[in-house]
Amino acid sequence: MKLLINIAFKNLFRNKLRTGVSILAVAFAVMVIVFTRGLLDGMVDSTYSLYIHYDTGHIKIIDEEYQQKQKLLSLNYTVNGLENKGLTEMQEDLAALDGIEMVVPRLKFGSAVSTEEELVKMLSWGVDGEKELAFTNIEREISEGRMVESGKREILMGSELLNKIDKNVGERVTMVYTTAFSSFQGATFDIVGKIESNLPLLNEDVVFMPLDTAQELLYLDDEVTELLLVTEDRNLTANYLPQLKNYLNQNGGNQYLVQTWREGSSFIQLLEMSEVIYNFIYVFLVLLASIVVINTMVMIVKERTQEIGMMSALGLKGSEILRLFMLEGSAIAVIGSFTGAIAGGILTYYLSGVGFDYSAAFQDIDVLMNPIIYPTFKFEHMLMAFLLGVFVTALTSIIPARRAAKLNPTEALREI
Amino acid sequence: MALVKLVGLKKTYQQGKIAVPALRGIDMEIESGEFTTIFGPSGSGKTTLLNMIGCLDKSTAGEIIFDGHSINNLNNKELAEIRRHNLGFIFQSYNLIPVLTAFENVEFAIRLIDKHSKKERREKVMSLLEEVGLGDLASRRPNELSGGQKQRVAVARALIKEPKLVLADEPTANLDSETSQEVLEIMQKMNKELNTTFIFSTHDPQVMEYANRLIEIKDGMISREQRRD
Ligand SMILES: Nc1ncnc2c1ncn2[C@@H]1O[C@H](COP(=O)(O)OP(=O)(O)O)[C@@H](O)[C@H]1O
Ligand SMILES: [Mg+2]
Repeated sequence: MKLLINIAFKNLFRNKLRTGVSILAVAFAVMVIVFTRGLLDGMVDSTYSLYIHYDTGHIKIIDEEYQQKQKLLSLNYTVNGLENKGLTEMQEDLAALDGIEMVVPRLKFGSAVSTEEELVKMLSWGVDGEKELAFTNIEREISEGRMVESGKREILMGSELLNKIDKNVGERVTMVYTTAFSSFQGATFDIVGKIESNLPLLNEDVVFMPLDTAQELLYLDDEVTELLLVTEDRNLTANYLPQLKNYLNQNGGNQYLVQTWREGSSFIQLLEMSEVIYNFIYVFLVLLASIVVINTMVMIVKERTQEIGMMSALGLKGSEILRLFMLEGSAIAVIGSFTGAIAGGILTYYLSGVGFDYSAAFQDIDVLMNPIIYPTFKFEHMLMAFLLGVFVTALTSIIPARRAAKLNPTEALREI
Repeated sequence: MALVKLVGLKKTYQQGKIAVPALRGIDMEIESGEFTTIFGPSGSGKTTLLNMIGCLDKSTAGEIIFDGHSINNLNNKELAEIRRHNLGFIFQSYNLIPVLTAFENVEFAIRLIDKHSKKERREKVMSLLEEVGLGDLASRRPNELSGGQKQRVAVARALIKEPKLVLADEPTANLDSETSQEVLEIMQKMNKELNTTFIFSTHDPQVMEYANRLIEIKDGMISREQRRD
């Protein structure tokens, strides 16, 4: 065996260009895999947290009817407590359930600011400022000023929105809105903070204000449009559902709809499915690369026909000749995959720092997604791509190796 | 007992629909220690005959008895075992492994048998290389050797495992007459010193002179036999 390894290794250098091209093909495929996995992972990670932070929570509680009216920002189907409990008490109970870490209330409604030229529409969120800071990464996105504080008539909004209404932090603005009783009203707020985010939702649409202020203005005392539950582990949300449903049932909360973040977003489901599909693409990529290797090795076998005949005459068995050529293929597989894994790792590591701008691809698609993706660098990805490259390439090299092993020695030895 | 015994050996190649008879009934015995040449014009069946004796191909009819055992019913793996342990080959076009040095090419043949320690192997290979006059060139690759030198490496490779029989198919066909004589003299010397049995083929009457036994074939049949001592 040592003898065969030695010869297979030396054979690699017989035609350096050809060996090099084969190695490069494998390396390229493996590199692309490492990078794509990192990119996809980064995308999924950031999308998951975006959706969870700004849409679904880990578990979302809304009124059943609200589901259809969500887009209209209706205030007729709110979360307003249970049979014998008000919303505040309901929140306390929920927070006390096993595995629930936090209950984040949001009151969403439509509003507008009129400028000299136009009416700028916006999406107002009445929020508990402290809980938002604890749950989301909004703090990172606030470029100036601060989060809103309860009891005050103040707002925090995106830089794009501020541009549209031509205001700055520190100034005041009057907003108009429709109350729960459908009356049209206005109120004036202090602008206390500015958000600078890659996320269009935060930059162009949302206005944060204290929950109690919003409730007071809308005449919705102790009511919100949704409750977001934060659990101990987002991957185990399903485990926390039974007791939650149980609680709602026992307290006459049958009008409420309970959704996990997975059900809440079809885009996340799509992403999860694409991860599975990509696995096939990875295998396909490596197979493509191994076609180059197979092709090279078929040429090699042809060229070394006499040599194979000689080895056979010297008493090498078919299985040994098979091994000799598979060793050569495996060496290409290992060197190529190793190079590719390292290159892919370096590329991903670099881009995980500076980010990868995806915005062009998602310009016209309405999904909650960060346009700058930070690929996730994971050693695991390198290892997986390396193993896939080695395994598939080495295995496919059995095709030319078998050709060599099956050569009839007398035919192989015949003078050409 | 003869080392090799052929009884009514026939070989017919199938070339598409046409049957090409290459050997048409060969009977012969080769005794241990003989230095035999198979002599005949091109196409007479020399290579085919050597391949049969060398357990590289199966006959169409007849029997081959090697060292007392019929090889007719052996499978490819068993035939490979016989070649590995008992036979040495020398080819017209040398067929050395280009990525190995002269030393390693010779060593290759005994590493397949693997009954020697590394040190033993080294000594054996070096002394044989010296024997064939290549002591100084042991670390050269085939492409750094002349034709005659390459063929001497091949002779050493065939002899290193001390086989019962060495088969050489036109070993001097690619060499000029002077180099041919050198190679043949080395083969002759090894035959005498080690008592190794040699069978080599040629179409060159000058080369034929070295043999102490001559078997001439024509159209796949033995046409003349002669012993010289
Ligand atoms: N693989 C083969 N297929 C068909 N015919 C062959 C094959 N090998 C040899 N022959 C034929 O068998 C005859 C003997 O060939 P060979 O043994 O090579 O003769 P020599 O070695 O004496 O030149 C020739 O007619 C040759 O054309
Ligand atoms: Mg011939």
